[in-house]
Amino acid sequence: MTEIANPYGKVALYPGCALDGLGKSYDVSLQLVARDLGINYEKIEDYNCCGALEVKNVNTMAGLLLPARNLSLARQMGANAVMSACPGCHYSLSRTQYFMTRYPKLREKVNSYLEKMGEKQYDMQLLMIHAVEFIYNTVGPEGVKARVKRPLQGLKVAPYYGCLYSRPKAYTLTGYMKMKDDPERPVFMDELLRALGAEVVPFESKTMCCGGPHVYSDVTTSLHLEARILKDAKRNGAELLITDCPLGHVAIETNMNKIAEKYGEDLRMPLVYFTQLLAFAFGHSPEEALLTANLSNPMSVLKRYL
Amino acid sequence: MPIPNLEKPIIKGLIQKDKVIVDGVELDGTWNAFMIERTQTGYDQSVWDEIANTVEGATISLCWQCGTCTSGCTMREYDPNYSPRRFIDLARKGDKQSLIELQDSIWRCVSCQKCTHRCPKGVLVEEVVHSIHNYLLKHGLVKTDPGTVFDELFLETVMKNGGRISELLLGGASAKAGFVTMSLRDLLIMMGPLLKSGLIKDLMKPSRVKEWDRIKPVLEEAMKEEVTPE
Repeated sequence: MTEIANPYGKVALYPGCALDGLGKSYDVSLQLVARDLGINYEKIEDYNCCGALEVKNVNTMAGLLLPARNLSLARQMGANAVMSACPGCHYSLSRTQYFMTRYPKLREKVNSYLEKMGEKQYDMQLLMIHAVEFIYNTVGPEGVKARVKRPLQGLKVAPYYGCLYSRPKAYTLTGYMKMKDDPERPVFMDELLRALGAEVVPFESKTMCCGGPHVYSDVTTSLHLEARILKDAKRNGAELLITDCPLGHVAIETNMNKIAEKYGEDLRMPLVYFTQLLAFAFGHSPEEALLTANLSNPMSVLKRYL
Repeated sequence: MPIPNLEKPIIKGLIQKDKVIVDGVELDGTWNAFMIERTQTGYDQSVWDEIANTVEGATISLCWQCGTCTSGCTMREYDPNYSPRRFIDLARKGDKQSLIELQDSIWRCVSCQKCTHRCPKGVLVEEVVHSIHNYLLKHGLVKTDPGTVFDELFLETVMKNGGRISELLLGGASAKAGFVTMSLRDLLIMMGPLLKSGLIKDLMKPSRVKEWDRIKPVLEEAMKEEVTPE
């Protein structure tokens, strides 16, 4: 096997709530894909919640300290980069890095509290990356193509990145670095999916919001936003919606019945994490990639490739 | 009165009089229409100062009111009153009354970050809007909204164990708070694949950070601290 270029150094995975909970299938399939592609990462142990998009609205210090502790843990593992599979975690870790860089006194304060907690001071030496970027910048589409055992010829897919994968550029550094995706019209996942043989349809709602943070508190709006994502995907002829955001994935899947009731039955569409589709194309069985665990039953579409 | 119908919606606050006498001369024709004085008084500079002195709201002063944030805003499509540009403008003028009138809109930001991303001046618009909302909440000017209730529930759930949020704990807490999210039928449909794949046991257990008993008091202490953007 040829040496794989890894521009990131040692990569630590921050799993967050999603990957150890409802997004388990994302976690399992990411492990399968990384093992097949020969790229390594280590999980951060004993991590805490990153605070997502909620804690920061209630308390400034809690919104910074929670992610900062995870960053400190990653540095104690000797990592050079923290990979999140959930754009929400990616966002809040990057946000903390941004504020700690921008305000030195704030950084000192956060660091002194970290020491009180018994952790090391965070030295600002980490790069935050998303799982899509990690795969794209290490093995790339060619490396993915070489591993495909089940080409998904003729499968029409719509890649849904979610809002926080590439935004805002100040936090996630998209558009500032060569290794980062385009902030408004990302393409990394498109290219990975094309490498599987699938046809990527034009998709306007790639980075549209699914109403995630208000999925409980502002139900009508989030249903409307989710319906629009499905509408755009349907209109362009997609059979599967491919996600890289557990927040959006779970929100759309659990609301699917309500959306279908309100906006029409024809909007029903199966959702798959991009790593699940990669694992499936690499020859893993649907059970191994946990495709059977998705509420929206993607096997109804994928069974023709078995 | 010959004001063109097309222009009527543009001209707001018009006074029209049947008979107007200025300096002993009676005016006629279109000269009898006046605009109501719209000078704004009662600026409260302290609102701007206080928001600019928070970590999130520090960039409020950079805004030059171009409206890029608002033109692409996700929420604006569903709520015509939702306008980050206007929120910033009102906060800088210290027009608390107008902000209070907008309280049913201002909490509805879905944090999609389009505004922050697109701002040509580097205003962290999403953070600033939350900062303005927090100002209103802190001073008791607005009633608590569902978004804030959920945010607080979330923080409470985090504080219990520190580790990953348990969907069950959070779901239970939100159901208690009155956010009816799922019918029994939905739950039953969800249970099928979850049981089949064995995911259910992962959902049941929230993970607890090992030394949470030691970390929690530090976090609570930190949360009491007022931080400034320095």
